[in-house]
Amino acid sequence: MESQALWLTLRLAATTTIILLAVAIPLAWWISSGRGPARAFTQAILALPLVLPPTVIGFYLLVGLGPLTFAGRAIIHILGHPLAFSFAGLVVGSVLYSAPFAIMPLVAGFQAIGPEYVEAASLLGASPVRSFFDITLPLAKPAVLSAIVLVFLHTVGEFGVVLMLGGNIPGVTQTLSISLFDQVQDGNYTAANHTALLLIAFAVAGLAIVYARRPWRQFA
Amino acid sequence: MTSKLCVAFVGLILATASCLAQTALHVAAAADLQPVMPALAQEYEHQTGVKLDVSFGSSSALATQILNGAPMDVFLGADFSFPEKVVAANLADQSTPTPYATGTLVLWTRKDSGISPLSIDLLTDPKITRIAIADEFHAPYGRAAYAAIDALKLRAKLKPKIVTAENVGQTAQFAESGNAQVAFISLTLASTEHMRQIGTFERAPKIYPKLTQCGVVIKSSSNLAEAHKFLSWLTSPKTQSTLTRFGLDPAQ
Repeated sequence: MESQALWLTLRLAATTTIILLAVAIPLAWWISSGRGPARAFTQAILALPLVLPPTVIGFYLLVGLGPLTFAGRAIIHILGHPLAFSFAGLVVGSVLYSAPFAIMPLVAGFQAIGPEYVEAASLLGASPVRSFFDITLPLAKPAVLSAIVLVFLHTVGEFGVVLMLGGNIPGVTQTLSISLFDQVQDGNYTAANHTALLLIAFAVAGLAIVYARRPWRQFA
Repeated sequence: MTSKLCVAFVGLILATASCLAQTALHVAAAADLQPVMPALAQEYEHQTGVKLDVSFGSSSALATQILNGAPMDVFLGADFSFPEKVVAANLADQSTPTPYATGTLVLWTRKDSGISPLSIDLLTDPKITRIAIADEFHAPYGRAAYAAIDALKLRAKLKPKIVTAENVGQTAQFAESGNAQVAFISLTLASTEHMRQIGTFERAPKIYPKLTQCGVVIKSSSNLAEAHKFLSWLTSPKTQSTLTRFGLDPAQ
């Protein structure tokens, strides 16, 4: 049961990280490439999950995108089932919930790159897309790595959204943090301790990667 | 402008704090009592002047919290076993839990779910894809639901459809929001005006062990006399006779 929860948690965290990177890199690039109210507003919206309780996301996904709303019925039509109680639902919740952890380091990373590099590339005839992939992205590598690790860890540690949306189905929505909650409720402190230590190990290992890379960012 | 906002903010916090300062009994109540306790608390405060601060959760969650030192005066569980755990841990101010009500398990569905007539045998119908049940280890109503399903030897067939909620309140919410088509919930939750308006329910056949809801006074209470008074009031014939309107039967 524990290994099932572990595998599910890893799959959820990996899926969330891949989707979020694909969305966050272009978004962060756009945000960091200028100023203005549209960019500030987008950034504020994307940072919301940082300050909102996860229950807000859980509530809107469960009820706002449930079978009682038009959007919810559209989702059921596409997926064949409601978002709630499904892996897809947890992915949607996790992508929203972890978005700031991808956007923030990426925007900071892109902004830290001096405009002279991109200008030089464009003088030499590189298209904006080419200079993004050949200059900006490689220079922002430490920021990308931070985003990957933080999103992954934050998704592993997610609890409130999953509790409200998941339905605690082993292998589908029962993640490690939920199974830890169950073990504590059952008074099974030995099992709870194992699960908690596993979660701590993840967090320490991941954060160690981020901080070990730090000198590289200064170097870049 | 900013300083005015700060003053308003601090004022709000202080006002909240002063509200909390009023003396009150802290009651940990099982989730099936969510629609019951506000009315009972109002009645009790009206009669005695003692305010009740009620926290809700699954019986198991509340028992675990009390076993770990939660500052509660009274624990009202949804069965005998969880209050008994508190007694066994020598944390109750009594030698055995006091029955205060008998619960009833019902099947609930939204009126617009198209499921009718609602019955436990209908659950195997492929039209029903999600059945919400409270955790069988944490919540007495979840345990009762599984007992009923087991008595009909339906567990294996229904298992792929079952979604587990933390407590019976969340179970009701899963079906109320339409995410699950059917839920096993308490008659107390099914009896609220909102749930009656949007849904229908059917009492589960009495093939589950009787849900004798018990309460205990917590030994570490700083207000033992008041806590015992409340439990006696709850089990008094007069209060017991009012329970049916909330969907609970008297204890005996």
